[in-house]
Amino acid sequence: MKILFDRIDEPGLNTLPVYEARGGYKALRQALTMEPADVVDQISKSGLRGRGGAGFPAGRKSSFLPKGDMSKYLVCNADESEPGTFKDRELMQKSPHMLIEGIVIACWGAGISHAFIYIRGEYQLQADILEAAIAEAVQAGYIGEDILGSGFSLSLVLHRGAGAYICGEETGLLDSLEGKRGNPRLKPPFPAVEGLYAGPTLINNVETLATMPHIITMGGEEYAKLGVENSAGTKLVSVSGDVQRPGNYEIELGTSSRELIFDLAGGTFPGREVLLWFPGGSSSPVLTKDDLDLPYDFDAMAKAGTMLGSGAIIVVDDSHHPLEVALKLAKFYSHESCGKCVPCREGTNWTYKMLQRIETGEATPMDLDIMASVQEQIIGNCLCVLGDAMAMPVGSIVEKFRAELEAEIEAARARHDAGSLEHVIPVGVADEHAGPIPVH
Amino acid sequence: MSPQSVPRFDHGSRVPGWDDAVDLTKPPATVPDPALTPVSDELRAGIEAAMAKYPDRHSAAIPALHLAQQEHGYCSPEAITEVAAVMRLTPAYLTSVATFYDMFEMERKPKNDVYVCTNISCSLRGGDEFYAAMLAAADGGTDVNVRSFECLGACDIAPMASVNGEFVGPLTTEDAGQIVADLAAGRPVLEHKQLRYRRCADPGVESAAGEEPQ
Amino acid sequence: MPRPEQKTISLTIDGREVAAIENSMLVDAAKAGDVEIPYFCYEPKLGEPVGACRMCLVEIEGIPKLQTSCSTPVKDGMVVHTQTDRVKGAQNAIVEFLLINHPLDCPVCDKGGECPLQDITFGWGLGRSRMLEPKRHFVKPLALSPLVAIDRERCILCYRCVRFSQEISEDYQLIFTERGAHTFVGTHDGHPYSAPFSGNIIELCPVGALTSQPYRFRARPWDIEGAGGICTLCPSQCNVTFTVRDEKVLRVLSRDSLGNPAVDDGWLCDKGRFGYQAIHVDERITRPLVRDGGELRPVSWERALETAAGLAKHTGRTAALAGGQATNEEAFLIQRLLREGLASHDLDCRFSESVSLELARALAAPALQATVPDLEFAHTVLLIGAEPLDDAPILDLRIRKGVRRQGVQLAIASARPSALDPNAAISVRYPPGGEAAFLADLENALAGESDSAPDANVAALARQLTEGGEDIVIVWSERLASAALPTLLRIAERLKLAERDGAGLLELPSGSNGRGLREAGFLPNAGPGYGDPVQAGRGTAEIAAAAKAGDVTALYLLQVDPQRELPDRAAWDAAMHHASLIVAHASVLTEGLKEHATVVFPAESYAEKDGTVVHPDGRLQRLRTAIAHPGEIRAGWQVIAEISRRAGLDQGVLTGPMAFRQLCDAVPFYADLTLEQIAGHGLRWPETDAASKLPAGAGAEAVSGSDLERLASPPAVFDSSQQGLRLGTYRSIWAAPEVELSPALHFTIAEQLVELAPADAERLGIDNGAEITVAQNGTRLSARAAVRSGVPNGTAFMADGIASDSANALTERVVEVSPQ
Repeated sequence: MKILFDRIDEPGLNTLPVYEARGGYKALRQALTMEPADVVDQISKSGLRGRGGAGFPAGRKSSFLPKGDMSKYLVCNADESEPGTFKDRELMQKSPHMLIEGIVIACWGAGISHAFIYIRGEYQLQADILEAAIAEAVQAGYIGEDILGSGFSLSLVLHRGAGAYICGEETGLLDSLEGKRGNPRLKPPFPAVEGLYAGPTLINNVETLATMPHIITMGGEEYAKLGVENSAGTKLVSVSGDVQRPGNYEIELGTSSRELIFDLAGGTFPGREVLLWFPGGSSSPVLTKDDLDLPYDFDAMAKAGTMLGSGAIIVVDDSHHPLEVALKLAKFYSHESCGKCVPCREGTNWTYKMLQRIETGEATPMDLDIMASVQEQIIGNCLCVLGDAMAMPVGSIVEKFRAELEAEIEAARARHDAGSLEHVIPVGVADEHAGPIPVH
Repeated sequence: MSPQSVPRFDHGSRVPGWDDAVDLTKPPATVPDPALTPVSDELRAGIEAAMAKYPDRHSAAIPALHLAQQEHGYCSPEAITEVAAVMRLTPAYLTSVATFYDMFEMERKPKNDVYVCTNISCSLRGGDEFYAAMLAAADGGTDVNVRSFECLGACDIAPMASVNGEFVGPLTTEDAGQIVADLAAGRPVLEHKQLRYRRCADPGVESAAGEEPQ
Repeated sequence: MPRPEQKTISLTIDGREVAAIENSMLVDAAKAGDVEIPYFCYEPKLGEPVGACRMCLVEIEGIPKLQTSCSTPVKDGMVVHTQTDRVKGAQNAIVEFLLINHPLDCPVCDKGGECPLQDITFGWGLGRSRMLEPKRHFVKPLALSPLVAIDRERCILCYRCVRFSQEISEDYQLIFTERGAHTFVGTHDGHPYSAPFSGNIIELCPVGALTSQPYRFRARPWDIEGAGGICTLCPSQCNVTFTVRDEKVLRVLSRDSLGNPAVDDGWLCDKGRFGYQAIHVDERITRPLVRDGGELRPVSWERALETAAGLAKHTGRTAALAGGQATNEEAFLIQRLLREGLASHDLDCRFSESVSLELARALAAPALQATVPDLEFAHTVLLIGAEPLDDAPILDLRIRKGVRRQGVQLAIASARPSALDPNAAISVRYPPGGEAAFLADLENALAGESDSAPDANVAALARQLTEGGEDIVIVWSERLASAALPTLLRIAERLKLAERDGAGLLELPSGSNGRGLREAGFLPNAGPGYGDPVQAGRGTAEIAAAAKAGDVTALYLLQVDPQRELPDRAAWDAAMHHASLIVAHASVLTEGLKEHATVVFPAESYAEKDGTVVHPDGRLQRLRTAIAHPGEIRAGWQVIAEISRRAGLDQGVLTGPMAFRQLCDAVPFYADLTLEQIAGHGLRWPETDAASKLPAGAGAEAVSGSDLERLASPPAVFDSSQQGLRLGTYRSIWAAPEVELSPALHFTIAEQLVELAPADAERLGIDNGAEITVAQNGTRLSARAAVRSGVPNGTAFMADGIASDSANALTERVVEVSPQ
């Protein structure tokens, strides 16, 4: 069943005539005949859960917005930066009007008159396509004053980011959109109450919004029949890493993970086995080859101690060592930590340094205990989820691959004649001043 | 200046000025007086148009910095001062914003940007090797700024790079030289590997429609 | 605007019932219940919490995750745990994270002993670190400005300093740059963080990252004592604590962390924070001086007092002036000496035009006085001719706070562009000296003739005042032409400012204690408490003329050098030249005194005085002796009493408090006050029962008759075809002898900057920063051009009160400006 990816490669689909020719914007016309509350009701009934990572029920999120005449905002989160995730990119590039239609419908439902798409700065092609599509939609009267004679007015502005993972975090995104450093905000107040420009703000992922026209067309109850309990509908899954056919696949939630990885994405290369895999982007605790038969849905993943996240599967085969993966993770998150709160800023950086010490043969198994403890000290103590996003997968690697890591510690120690720490931390000028310290 | 002479951390971000004192002979950097800060008409118009798009002019900071970087080649102190004069902000406000984001360059750099993804999915498939090859290929007076970048959102073409915004992949180490050559010649870069022409991997996409696209 | 109501609720912290104000932050509520929760980034003065340091995590029943108590408003029935293993684990973790890159160089750190990081590490840390990697090391300390040194190794990125720069002083020069663990505090492109309030970041810093350049390594916390005092370097009269070591002031801090909310809100300007250095400089006079053989020479007290007692020979021909740093008691005793002992009635503490007694009483009416907190909660604050940043700096922060947090509508009417213009809803510019005409226009507009207003801004202002809410505070400067004041009073009446608690007038006097000096009777036309004088005398300008003419032969100068500080420098030069006896109290010899004074008594500094001063909003505040008098300095009241005795008037004053008692007996509306009452946070007399004893002023209509005639001749219309420019003057925050004397503030010493409009600069061929000459009637001043977009065409603004090339050498309204 293809909903979002239905004929996605149709030439010219990114232009308005082709999109309209296949029934585009009919859902909007239909929604505008409905009461806004009914639109939200259909979305609630559909069981659609946010596709950006947190999986929060989309209908409920809309209903949190206060009623009234104040300026309310919708922000479409198109800052797709979670490593391994690239589904929104394909959607925006190939079917931008589907997203725009979804945005207008969502705004009508929640009584919002100003909408923004925050797209990551690196997606230049997609941003250009969206900008052209917005211009077409404005021209055709799908955006602007008195849309299709309904009396409903909406402005839509495309905002390009400039390269910062943390802007995918909804409150970091709001600060960035307000022209500041993209530091996450303290919650509460939640964006639904006090978000962009201190007004009530609805923030949804690209895929979530793009699904809305289909829910209106199909009816919420019909959509809810897709997928499994608590995980309704179809989901775009980005599969990457050590698989033969990496790419985006639209599946019904609840499909077996093995089917997804092996049948659709072609599985590992000949002679290789799955070492570990991330079910929901690099922030999700890792699973092993023993978990391949789990159904791919929100509940099953939560039950397995991980999460569906953004729907990005990264497969790592046995030609790689878990340390390599942990190092990449720690380096990434310490680079992307915004620096606002202490446990994330210092914890990610410290973890990276400890992992580097393993690599250079200057660690002992005791360091794995410290590392595990540091991950625990990060989890739950940070301002936003970025710290946890490193601590959970790194913690899970330390837990699940302790034997491999211990072996690597010994091997690396044998490789390097560990003496001084001078070359251990190549981070910046700072360390020029640092003398060697004795290794226990 | 070649890319290597800009001091960088191993993950590509700049070495910040932790060791620098302020220059006490300079005046404090307050909001620049427009009468004393010439700005090109094009940049001014661009920034003003960006400010008009938002309920709060501060929101135009990132778009304005993009424009200034385009005009000046990087976010030079002068570029930032010009944006500050048009936006009626202190230069410090914009410096603070610009240094937060990876795409703003605070040091003079070669014209062409090659962002090589070295995050998990790409590195599993040789991203780090390609990065090394790319650095080597760009070395020696080419006008190419090579940076290791975090996930660019194109793991389906891993290992990949963004060349002046154009996503290309999957790359082999041989492609590095080709990228430099294409850039030097002003041709589209590795056109056959550009993401914009890639079809969806999902085999059900066409069958769902019951018809083949042309 | 209605102020927030406070409702008390009860919650449970660690099993104890705690009463707290609803919606106050948990960390503060806990303090009320004697439970200490550690924190770094939280600082209520800075506004909304940021929750960045994560040190204050606590467990709240019903919430699964630990919560930051700095950002959790308390609710009735909340149950909080701060001592559980989970909370302790988090606290240990945060301390460990904070210290992994902290240098732990406490033995050589200036903050050691008064460092929150040190205290919290001892109180809530694990006592050990598991980090084996090398710490970050950087060159340190580095200059952040001439006043502040930065040590980036010690910084814990708590956000306090950058929030101050961005959200309190709003100069937005101090920033975080870079990201993540590489984030550091800095400025744009190596510019120094130099702004009028920059020193507050030193006090805010919870570690030793930001230290005071002048205080570095001067003392350890166990070497020093704190002594409460009042800074009298400007009318803001901030409440301070002097850090004293060996009878020397080494540092000035805000009185306590939250300050005095009715006065300073816990902030200080850099003049107040660093100007203390002037107390301990070699230039300071610490012995009496008498002119002998043409030069001032140190002499014995006996000889100096005898010389000063020579005033007795000038009975009927003595005049006195008092500067802003004089206390009420000193001013009161001198006016007694003149009026009762020397039968002289020429005395003044206002240096611009005189104001009629009726008008002065009407403007001082208790019901019409606005308070400092009113600025924060008014619907509209209107500044007329006042530049808070220069006139009373701390009020600049207060107004910004009101606009930012309470949505106060700020309107500014001034000749010169204001630092607050970017915060103002409405800014009106009038030509220098045009305030009377402006107020007349405003009055007409308020009377419903707004369509006839010559300026759309004036019409908008009138609309804001009539429709924008009743709580209106009008802040005006003593420098306003007195012709404008009757109109001001009528506008206040029309807007019914006297009828509302949150509305009123707030005058910013030119002198720090300008209000107190007037209330003590140091005016030519008023006795103590605005009573009818025994006999009316001459005001400032007339005294100068009379001295030149020989009608006044002796001058008593209480902490004022007319040549330096008063308008018309040439007139004062002549007056002092002609006076045969000049008695002065001064801290340092400024040029007028050096040249002309007969006897100079060493004046006490504000850290040495014992006495009272009056805040512009009527709050009496007490100065106390914080350090011993250096050298042979004696208390001012004592010297005056002794001179009086020798000149034939026994004032019956043996102690400072006796002088205060006399003052209270003489000023009817001080009748209820005692020194005990005004200790601590001071006391506003307009709020006491005795306030009604202020003689009522006549209604606005009655006082205005004669003044209105003066209005009939508005300032000459400027002819732009002339070569000249209209001259406006201003007195910068830095234009003070204390600033020149304090080594740390040397970099701020203002040279003469002439602010010009870009069009004028271009027409005159003057570049920004160029050396220029300003000329008028043969007087020529050297200056530097400062081209500013905000300056109206055809106008030049120049500084007065500065040491050289001060604008007080110029007396006319038009100047010729030319490149040098």
